[in-house]
Amino acid sequence: MLSQADRRELDDILKKYPDKRSAVLSALYIAQREKNYLTDDDIRDVAQALDMTVTEVHAIVGFYTLLRKEPTGKYLIQVCTDLPCALRGADDFYRRLCRRQGLPPEGGTTEDGLFTVEEVVCVAACDKAPVAQINLEYHEHLTDEKIDAIIAELREKSTEGVTAG
Amino acid sequence: MSLLQEHVLLRHRDIPNIRDIHVYTAHGGYDALRKALNEMQPGEVTDVVKASGLRGRGGAGFPAGVKWSFIPKDVKPVYIVVNADESEPGTFKDRELIEGNPHQVLEGIALCAYAVGAEAAYIYGRGEFRGPFRGLQQAIDQAYEQGFLGENILGTDFSLDVYTHLGAGAYICGEETALLSSLEGKLGQPRNRPPFPAQVGLYGKPTVVNNVETLTNVPPIVRHGAEWYRQFGTEKSTGTKIFCLSGHVVRPGNYELPLGTPLRYLIEECGGGVPGGRKVKAILPAGASAPILPGDKLDLPLDYESVQAAGSMLGSASFIVMDETVDMVWAASKMVHFFKHESCGKCSPCREGTYWMEDVYHRLRDGHARPDDVDLLLSIADQMDGNCFCLLGEFSLSPVRSSIRHFREEYEMRVKRMGIGD
Amino acid sequence: MVSLTIDDVKIEVPEGTTVLQAARMSGVEIPTLCDYPHLTPYGGCRLCVVEVEGARLLQPSCTLPVSKGMVVHTNTARVREARKFVLTLLFSERNHFCMYCQVSGGDCELQNAAYEQDMTHWPFQPNWDPYLVDASHQHLVLDHNRCILCRRCVRACGELVGNFTLGVKDRGPESIIIADLDVPWGESTCVSCGTCVQVCPTGAIIDRRSAYLGHEADVERTRSVCIGCSVGCGVELITRDNRLLRIDGDWDAPVNEGILCQIGRFLALDDERERIVTPLVRRNGTLKAATWEDALDYVAGRLKPLAGKKGDGIAALASTRLPVESLYLFKQLFADKLNSEMVTSIEEGVTTALSGKVAQELGRPFEGSLERLKSADCVVAIGVDLAENHQVAGFFVKRALPNGTKLVVIDPYDNQLHELAHYALQPQAGTDYELLLGLMSAIVKSGLSRDEPTNLSELAGYDPQVVSQVTGISADTIRAVARLIASSQRPVFVYGKGVTRASSPEVLSALIELARLVGALTPDQSAIIGTKGQANSLAAYMYGLDKPFEVDGHQAVYLALGDDEPSRRLIKRLKGAPFIAVQASYLSPATEMADVVLPVEMWAEQDGYYLNLAGKLQKAHRALVPPQEVRSNVGVLKALAARLGVELEADWRKSLKKRAPINPVVE
Repeated sequence: MLSQADRRELDDILKKYPDKRSAVLSALYIAQREKNYLTDDDIRDVAQALDMTVTEVHAIVGFYTLLRKEPTGKYLIQVCTDLPCALRGADDFYRRLCRRQGLPPEGGTTEDGLFTVEEVVCVAACDKAPVAQINLEYHEHLTDEKIDAIIAELREKSTEGVTAG
Repeated sequence: MSLLQEHVLLRHRDIPNIRDIHVYTAHGGYDALRKALNEMQPGEVTDVVKASGLRGRGGAGFPAGVKWSFIPKDVKPVYIVVNADESEPGTFKDRELIEGNPHQVLEGIALCAYAVGAEAAYIYGRGEFRGPFRGLQQAIDQAYEQGFLGENILGTDFSLDVYTHLGAGAYICGEETALLSSLEGKLGQPRNRPPFPAQVGLYGKPTVVNNVETLTNVPPIVRHGAEWYRQFGTEKSTGTKIFCLSGHVVRPGNYELPLGTPLRYLIEECGGGVPGGRKVKAILPAGASAPILPGDKLDLPLDYESVQAAGSMLGSASFIVMDETVDMVWAASKMVHFFKHESCGKCSPCREGTYWMEDVYHRLRDGHARPDDVDLLLSIADQMDGNCFCLLGEFSLSPVRSSIRHFREEYEMRVKRMGIGD
Repeated sequence: MVSLTIDDVKIEVPEGTTVLQAARMSGVEIPTLCDYPHLTPYGGCRLCVVEVEGARLLQPSCTLPVSKGMVVHTNTARVREARKFVLTLLFSERNHFCMYCQVSGGDCELQNAAYEQDMTHWPFQPNWDPYLVDASHQHLVLDHNRCILCRRCVRACGELVGNFTLGVKDRGPESIIIADLDVPWGESTCVSCGTCVQVCPTGAIIDRRSAYLGHEADVERTRSVCIGCSVGCGVELITRDNRLLRIDGDWDAPVNEGILCQIGRFLALDDERERIVTPLVRRNGTLKAATWEDALDYVAGRLKPLAGKKGDGIAALASTRLPVESLYLFKQLFADKLNSEMVTSIEEGVTTALSGKVAQELGRPFEGSLERLKSADCVVAIGVDLAENHQVAGFFVKRALPNGTKLVVIDPYDNQLHELAHYALQPQAGTDYELLLGLMSAIVKSGLSRDEPTNLSELAGYDPQVVSQVTGISADTIRAVARLIASSQRPVFVYGKGVTRASSPEVLSALIELARLVGALTPDQSAIIGTKGQANSLAAYMYGLDKPFEVDGHQAVYLALGDDEPSRRLIKRLKGAPFIAVQASYLSPATEMADVVLPVEMWAEQDGYYLNLAGKLQKAHRALVPPQEVRSNVGVLKALAARLGVELEADWRKSLKKRAPINPVVE
């Protein structure tokens, strides 16, 4: 659901365009940023805010891979295994990561619901392989140790947040 | 390492912190814009770009100045859309320009807008560029503050607003009409052409769609003139080009070189050659979408004409190098998977053709291939050829056909393995 | 004009024509799947590719505009090979084993296209995952296994009906048709208009009723007019062995251009009432079968002595679903010849009498054609729910909304269009008049009026500020709506029962004045549309059958009900009438009360004319042969007149135009 603050943010974005619907991807990003995926209510909210039909917005969600309808972990780790990265060991890097996180080779979400790991196609960082995006931020020149450290740090941060909250 | 005394595009490699507007202006930044606004008519800007021979760096290689000259003079508003949806496997040059030298990109946009009479520009970046676009937005804000963007730029009548816009994960949006649909908030599916964007583009208005790198070339062209620019490159492929080098090389990365530089220089001098002294087996010169070149083509000059004559395309100049250990059936299947994954599903040849090709590759991988499977792949490719709605479908054929053409024996081995181990 | 050559024949076609259209004009057939003449060209399936000289690639003819001197070949070896390939892919995509499909056998465009290309099999092994069939819908079944992803249904749902229920989920080969947010179709926002089933090229969307009942080659098609309401949509009645299987929209009908609503397409087929197949006469308290001779003699015997009597003679009521011919004979027989005072229709003029009165005062018709709705840039709907009744008119509005057409709905009560409206105004009940004057006052004040107001002094008292207190609608909203309407280029006003039921003609007069102020009513054109009631509501008005009905002291009631269903209110009022004769197709509470029942044809069995809400005269055609003992409505009235010694004139056309017309009558 879009909060009042979200709606104000969206209003600012709308100023960029002569047509409201141009803001649909921005609006969907806003709607999914907290939980990393979109619910039916999010889609209805966005449709209503932009004078679009829910089927149109839903089709857009299905069309773009960064918009997600499946429940996703708090941190989405997307490892590129496309050809240039694979030539530099990304396939094995990804499989090892899944194994260490107790996930099947095709990826998935960790038991604590914190991390979703999946493989993606090219993310424009081929010279810095292996590479992953974690919640759409680049992490490059990765090694097993490096990614484990990042994951450990994020995990710690999350549990801290829980105790503090 | 470089054939250039100084970079024309990757200037941040020569000048630290040029992403800051003060550093940029201290090194001649925005002089070209000042020159254009004070001394040149809009048509003259287009003329100098035409005379420079600058060709679109996104992949199609269409002359940029000619594209600009298609914009009608009597229809308003006119839009500029900057294609930063860099999604071709092996391509990462626009990202470096945005991160390292953003003001040259913005100055190029402003020059283009002045030339075609546009008052708004949208920079469409792939969704993964959230981080790089934060920096870009800072650069835009700086440019507004310093009066290089916004109302009455440099005290003239010329005004321009520049906006950023992020996509959300769809390779097809790199195709210019799909990009426009996406920017309008529709599905990122290509449109019928004609009409071309120059006539009916964003929101139905005349629109120039140019790649980031293309526009980054414009400020030096306007500043130093067409003749200066033509000193780089060849007669028909003028200027410098950023070559994205990835795969089996010691030093992958972006390298700016004059067009026409031999492939060997890129791989061996720039990239430090193949690790472990292994041999180059194959090269993809334009990511996944252009035919594979066999490893014996290292003396090929890297300009549009020569690469085409060698049976491939320069495209976005994304060179993926594969050494002798690479299984070419595996490599081709990776690329076919990419295209199947990115097919939008609108036209049946692409939607189903990529599906069936991947299905055959799975059989090859899993040892269930049939004797006629290689011919089946070629037959699917032949029949998809020229029959898809947009170029994505056509692109998907390149890795299949070219890998079979040059490495058919690897396919045949897979086929013969059928039954082994049963 | 552009000249080009298609398959060695030179032709000239208008600029902007596609190659596919040009080919069809010159009699060349190009196979298509995703293309549909009434939908925007899509270019997805690639079956329609042709070879154009000078072009390296094959070109899809459905999206390719003609250009001067173009030379096109539609049937070369290269083209045929490409088409076979496309079909091969489509056949192997999902379950297309024709022998197990109900539409196989001439009705499937995929199968037909394969036969045209001499295909008997395809080389790829099918490899699909079976999809669940969605059978949750009341009228339709969605079988994804037969879907070829042409998206005709999705486009029809949006482009033609404006409902946007159907969509596509995911992309590439995973694409799948869904309803709303992927809910079972039967639980979606679908309005059951059935346009999707009419455009589906395969057996992916089938209609529960007609599936398995006959292939295209076995059925008969009769062009006719839907009499579900006053819109008068063109339909095709599909019959086999004297059974009505299905109703399609008539793509060539100018009124609806192919689209229908649930009432016209499905509900008309779901009539479960019991048919009357023989005349009935009440003897010893119960209705018994009788001969036509006996039944007619009995009615004539009871009516004859009452001829000419005022107040205690015959009260006669006709359904507004009867064809014009029947209404005319009915009016002549009872009003002109038997001189009854109480001759009217069962609508009692609720939707027309007021408009008629206003037209009389104006001395001219003030309503315009339904066409205006299709090109409107602003629609003001007042006192009418176009999603409930006259739905096809509502579809015209809904489908225009994405193109920027603005919608203002004025209705104190619940209205399904409220949620789609740019302005949904719910004034206090009974304050429509004040609101309309408030709008006019705001328009005049803002200097946006295009015509001189006739009631300037009156308007002074209706400042939006004042009006807002009466209506409960803010002055700002009133001003904004006024500005919206007045600044539109092609505003259209649609009004319904909410206006015509008003006790005084003021509201309608105010609406007309508002329309005039914004240029929607000029001496030669009008963009005001009254929705009226049933199919021949307007014709009933034209014959004067529009007064309120009372039995009072009348000694006999003659009810020409046809296939209509009597309202409970009518039944209540019929109670106590000394004699009741009912001319009807189905048993109903009215026939239960009757002393005589005369069985007549139902809508699909009769020929006859209908005058739609905009005055367009259209003919409905017989598609079914009635049961043996059932007579036509016209025949029964004539036979009765003969027994009463009365001669009736047959020329209904002349007198149809006599009364002050609300709309110009167009033939």
